This record gives sequence, C-alpha cells and structure tokens, in this order.
Amino acid sequence: MEKRLLIVIPAYNEAENIERVVDHLIANYPQYDYVIINDGSRDRTETICREKGYRYINMPINVGLTDGVQTGMMYAYENQYDYALQFDGDGQHDPLYIGDMLRAMDACDICVASRFVGQKKPKGMRMLGSNIIQFTLKLTTGKTIKDPTSGMRMFNRVTMRAMAENADYGPEPDTLAHLIRSGAVVKEVPVQMHERVAGESYLSFSRSIRYMTHMCFSILFIQWCRKKVDLKRGDAK
Amino acid sequence: MSLVLRIALIAVSFLVIVFVIKKIRRTQLYIDDAIYWIVFSVILFVLSLFPQIAIYASELFGIESPANFVFLLIIFVVLIKLFNLSIELSVQKHRLNRLVQKLALMKVEGEDTLNQESKCESTDFQLKK
Repeated sequence: MEKRLLIVIPAYNEAENIERVVDHLIANYPQYDYVIINDGSRDRTETICREKGYRYINMPINVGLTDGVQTGMMYAYENQYDYALQFDGDGQHDPLYIGDMLRAMDACDICVASRFVGQKKPKGMRMLGSNIIQFTLKLTTGKTIKDPTSGMRMFNRVTMRAMAENADYGPEPDTLAHLIRSGAVVKEVPVQMHERVAGESYLSFSRSIRYMTHMCFSILFIQWCRKKVDLKRGDAK
Repeated sequence: MSLVLRIALIAVSFLVIVFVIKKIRRTQLYIDDAIYWIVFSVILFVLSLFPQIAIYASELFGIESPANFVFLLIIFVVLIKLFNLSIELSVQKHRLNRLVQKLALMKVEGEDTLNQESKCESTDFQLKK
C-alpha cells in the first residue's frame, strides 16, 4: 500500500514566500499532502492561505516554532499519516528530495535532509555552531549527524507520536539527541538547500548565541535528567 | 567553619541537586527553566565544597562574614528570577486573555453561521412536511 506523507509547513509572517513554496508543492508534487501551520502571523499569511484555498491550521496566537510544529505532528498522527515532514515555509527546502527521504524511511525512524553528507562543510560562524552541536551529539549519543541543525526532517509514526505527545519537544537537535538516546534510528539523506529568497531569517546574532547555549546545555546536561520516551509502546501503527 | 557545618552544607546542597533532577524528570519542566535550577543547585554545591570561594569574595568586597556574601548572592539571584517570573506571568496573563477573547469571537462567528443554517433547515423541514 502507498505510504501517506504529510508535509508540515510552519509559517510565521511568511506572506512573501508561502505562495511560491506551496504553489510549487501543489503543482509538482500533488501526491503528497501538506498542511500550513499559520502561527499567529501579523502579515497577510492567513489571508493568502484563505484566498488561495490552501489547507491550513490557524493558531489563534503566536505559539512559537516548537508548538507550531507539534500541532502539525498531532494533526499528522491523528489523521493516520505514515510519515510527517517538517518543511520550512521560506523556500529553503526543496521538495525534490522528499522521494529520497521516503525511501530512506524504510530503514529508520527519523530522516534528516543533510547538506553535508558526502561533501565538506564550508567554514564560517554558522558552521562552527553546526560543528559544535554535531560534536555534542557524538559525545552523548555516539552517533554522527552531519547536519544536525537541518530543519527538514521526516518522522515515522513512532517518532511522530513522541513529537506530538511530549512537552518541550522542539524541532531541534536536542530533541533529535533525546530520541536517539531513546532508541530511534536516524539516517541522513544528501540534499542541496536554497538561500532564503525573501523575508528575514529568524537567526540574528544574539539569537544564535542564545540558541547555541540552549542547545549545548540541553544536549549535554538536560538529556540526562529527562525521561526517555518509550518508542516501543504498542499503539503506534 | 566547623566540620559538622561543612558536611551538613555539602550534604544538603547535594540533596538539592538530586531533588531538582528528580523533579525535572517527573514534571517535564521546560528546558529553559530547568537550566536555571540546575545551574543554581550546582553553584550551591560548589560553594559548599569550596568555602574558600565565599571567603575570598567576601574579603574582596569588604563583607564581614562569608555567610553574608552567600546570602547576598542567593538573594540577588533569586530576586532576578522572581522578576523574570513576574514578567513571564504578565505575558502569560495577556496570552490567556487573548486566547479566551479569540475563542469567544470564534464562537460568535460559529453561532452566526449556525443560526443561518438552522433557519434554512427549518424551512426545508416545513417544505417536506
């Protein structure tokens, strides 16, 4: 039987990008379902979604990426999707690679779209951050994930449920670390990513520093204080 | 400082760490909040292990007793936390009210459309009769 995939597109003030991204999906990849999570945007994101007849969930207030993506995971889980894909609404991610990711899912629980499989990381501040997180992941889980900060990740039923049920399961590397420690198998698929075309990136310098301290602390220390999730609980089918 | 007091301090601050970690495990405390309490309890533990830190710092600032330095430090840190909590509480209040308002508005909208639908239904009903 054909596996069903839901593409979860969190969107906060993405009026400039959302149309291009979603129209591309609809026109060229009609075999995949999608849902936009409009996270209390202040711009025209909601109007666009309504007028264009997109399938979207409207958050009444801004809840942040963590809870936004979590809503998408809940939706995917409740609607019996086999896989859920976290996909940026700003056009950085290319749906071209979804097929590869789906094939990889046969042998893993989480598939990460990785920019650095089979090619070297370029140098720079961002990559320094990526390297530090990769190192902490290696240290705590023993697994190498070359692109831990990649925001394009696919989850199967089991990990989807873990993402949907638990508090503070951000779509971030620390959750990845936690799921690996709980027994999830993670695979990487090589992809290319685009530069953001319009709009402002979420990560400013001070935000990046905050993000890095949070991630390192969370991966290195908090993981040991967190209960492992029971991935083998029977009712995930 | 007497040996008994030192042992007591070390034991108590170690218990605080264990207590904090256990509670975090059970209640699924948000990571941001957990980071604060873990750092706090570890600082307490380090201070009890090496009272020289407190002694040195109190001499540096001209505080008479090292214990006063410890009190000062803890009160300061706790005050900042209290202030942040107060801010966070305000934000939460605002968000909760917003949410309730939106819910109320949604209900009105829903009832408006419902009323129209039920009117249509009742005429259908009459026609069928």
